[in-house]
Amino acid sequence: MIAMTQLRVGERAKIVDLSQVSNLVKRRLLDMGVTEGSEICLKCTMPLGGPFMIENYGQCVGIRRNEAKNIQVKPL
Amino acid sequence: MMHVALVGNPNTGKTSLFNQLTGTYEYVGNWSGVTVEKKVGVLRSKKAKMIDLPGVYSLHPMSRDERVVTQFLLTEPFDEILNIVDASQLERNLLLTVQLLEFGKPLTVALNMVDVAERRGIFIDQAKLAEALRVPVVPVIARTGKGCDRIEHTLLEKVLEQTEPFTLFYGEAMERAIERFIAAWGTEEQFPVRWLAIQFYEGNSYVREYVAEKLPEATWRSLYEQAEKEVQQAEQTPLDQLIYERRRSFVREVIEQSVQRQKIARVTVTDRIDAVVTNKYVGIPLFLLAMYILFQLTFDWLGAPLSDLLDAFFAGPLTDFVTAMLEAIGASEFIRALVVDGIIAGVGGVLVFVPQIFILFFFISFLEDSGYMARVALVMDRLMEAVGLNGKAFIPLIIGFGCNVPGVMAARTIEQPRERLMTMLLTPLMSCSARLPVYALFVGAFFAAHQAIIVLFLYVLGVSLALILAKLFSLTILKEEASVFVVELPPYRMPQWQALWRSTWDKGKGFVKKAGTFIFGGSVAIWLLSYVGPHGINVNMDDSFLAMIGGVLAPLLAPLGFGTWQAGAALLTGFLAKEVVVSTMNIIYHAPDVESLQGLMASHFTALSAFSFMVFVLLYVPCLATVATIYKETGSRKWTMFSMSYALALAYIVSLAIYQFGSLLGF
Ligand SMILES: Nc1nc2c(ncn2[C@@H]2O[C@H](COP(=O)(O)OP(=O)(O)OP(=O)(O)O)[C@@H](O)[C@H]2O)c(=O)[nH]1
Ligand SMILES: [Mg+2]
Repeated sequence: MIAMTQLRVGERAKIVDLSQVSNLVKRRLLDMGVTEGSEICLKCTMPLGGPFMIENYGQCVGIRRNEAKNIQVKPL
Repeated sequence: MMHVALVGNPNTGKTSLFNQLTGTYEYVGNWSGVTVEKKVGVLRSKKAKMIDLPGVYSLHPMSRDERVVTQFLLTEPFDEILNIVDASQLERNLLLTVQLLEFGKPLTVALNMVDVAERRGIFIDQAKLAEALRVPVVPVIARTGKGCDRIEHTLLEKVLEQTEPFTLFYGEAMERAIERFIAAWGTEEQFPVRWLAIQFYEGNSYVREYVAEKLPEATWRSLYEQAEKEVQQAEQTPLDQLIYERRRSFVREVIEQSVQRQKIARVTVTDRIDAVVTNKYVGIPLFLLAMYILFQLTFDWLGAPLSDLLDAFFAGPLTDFVTAMLEAIGASEFIRALVVDGIIAGVGGVLVFVPQIFILFFFISFLEDSGYMARVALVMDRLMEAVGLNGKAFIPLIIGFGCNVPGVMAARTIEQPRERLMTMLLTPLMSCSARLPVYALFVGAFFAAHQAIIVLFLYVLGVSLALILAKLFSLTILKEEASVFVVELPPYRMPQWQALWRSTWDKGKGFVKKAGTFIFGGSVAIWLLSYVGPHGINVNMDDSFLAMIGGVLAPLLAPLGFGTWQAGAALLTGFLAKEVVVSTMNIIYHAPDVESLQGLMASHFTALSAFSFMVFVLLYVPCLATVATIYKETGSRKWTMFSMSYALALAYIVSLAIYQFGSLLGF
């Protein structure tokens, strides 16, 4: 199990733990169907500690790096 | 008349469908949060009223636009729900459908984006879906209008047969808690109290306020705490999660029964575009390049030649024709002066810029409808984070380049109240299309060789100051709180010509309309003020009332380099709408066309003072309509006053610095 920030661009992973993510962000992710057990793919990252873009069943979502750091995933 | 509410996830095509059904045009765009307030329209057949609402993921609101929906459901009367479901994202869309079904109103599902779903290998058996949800399901393509007549038919037929209310079983412990709530509530409501109970336990903030109005605090708190404890004991999960999971397993069953998936492992167009547009290294430069091209096309390459043509027409054939007409009907000199020197000069002076403004709006519409807007939020987030905002705040700022009013409105989708307020306060620093005529006038007169670069500088100045002030505000009056940045990135869509044109026209017509009302009225008033003075009519303009009024301001403006009554009067009238500055100048300097006006102005301004004046026009107070919008959106007199006063102070300081330093350096 690793933090999402350790994924390489293009790598696929399954979300294992969202409990460390702030409540508001977790709510929003849930709204977009990103929960524990979702399969995601890291699409790209922005420079200088900028946001991450992940894909989940054809849906792309952007989140900040410091939130991604708190998301535990298991590479597939 | 029957009222039908359109409810659905963001960016699923609600407004597109609304436009198709009602034959009107409301704002459509390819990102989440285009519609931020309720809009009402009438079906083409005039048989029902449609209500378009902002998009929501669930009925539990996190931002201001989402609140509008929950508030609507609870407080306004309506008869039916038309639930738009994005076929390509069925799971999360149906999670909302479940909540709407529980609300108990007759419901029709419009299955939209079927074309997108099929391309992704998702095939939905609508009959099975209808059977599983026990409501009518109509496939549509809102973009082209396919299936819309069937929707109308189903809507009108529907109310007659009332189906039994939908209930989802949430487990023993939760059901007991729901019963306790219903017993405590006592009375009937227009909607099932069961729905209220579930939303309450789920932690819906709006519903909680609603409940707190009726039940004593001790009661609702103990209801909640007891439920929390019992559910934790029985199911080992928090309340809200339990509710979410039950809904999700229901939805997954429904999908299981009605959806066929084909594995299509193919790189989509969106993937390919994103590989460039959101590339780590290319993303930001590409955005800047796009803005530069937008600017050049509007101002230089395409817009300016068209405006020149129009100007030549107004000054030449139109003025001659009108003068001849007036002579032919024997109009008095007063009327001739009013029409030619007042109205044609004032209104024409502004209408000349219609081509440039339409080009600008066309490109903004293109950005909106293509899906690039959400990417801008992503690409710019790092910078915005550094100044205490988030990437989503960039969307209102870009819209603000067109017009500040929708820009301020667009801030509604920002979840964090502090960030939303800050975005609303700073949007007026974006140089809107109404300021463009002012720049065009001045750069033509004083910077003929470097027109585009000077105007570009003004745009950049506006953005830079907004970022600096954001940092300043977040360090002082609006201290940081945890911010939320989660942005949905929709697939790219090629905008349709017709939709683009509608959208451009919808934005641009405001400018034309303003020319016909505000600017027309303003021009007449200004001309009269310049025609009449304390010593009679048809006075020398320097002795007119206008000169007196402007003269009061002149000494204050002198340190900025433009201490004339003309500048004072123009700035004062510019509060109505910024382009009135140009009308006023046209009238004051009696110029038949832009070119000769520019010649005349050379005797009143130097290059430096003209530059200082443009900076002042960029920054000083938002226009009347923007101020009114800020007041409506913040609901606070204090913040509205603040938005005006900080802008005025900023304009004064920056212009003063430019003029004084410039003079020292010998410009
Ligand atoms: N391919 C395709 N695109 C569609 C369809 N319906 C709508 N769109 C596009 O989807 C985008 C969103 O449309 P809107 O009507 O603004 O969506 P909305 O639900 O009102 O969005 P919000 O107001 O932000 O909640 C636009 O770019 C439309 O052109 C459809 O059936 N197929
Ligand atoms: Mg909409």
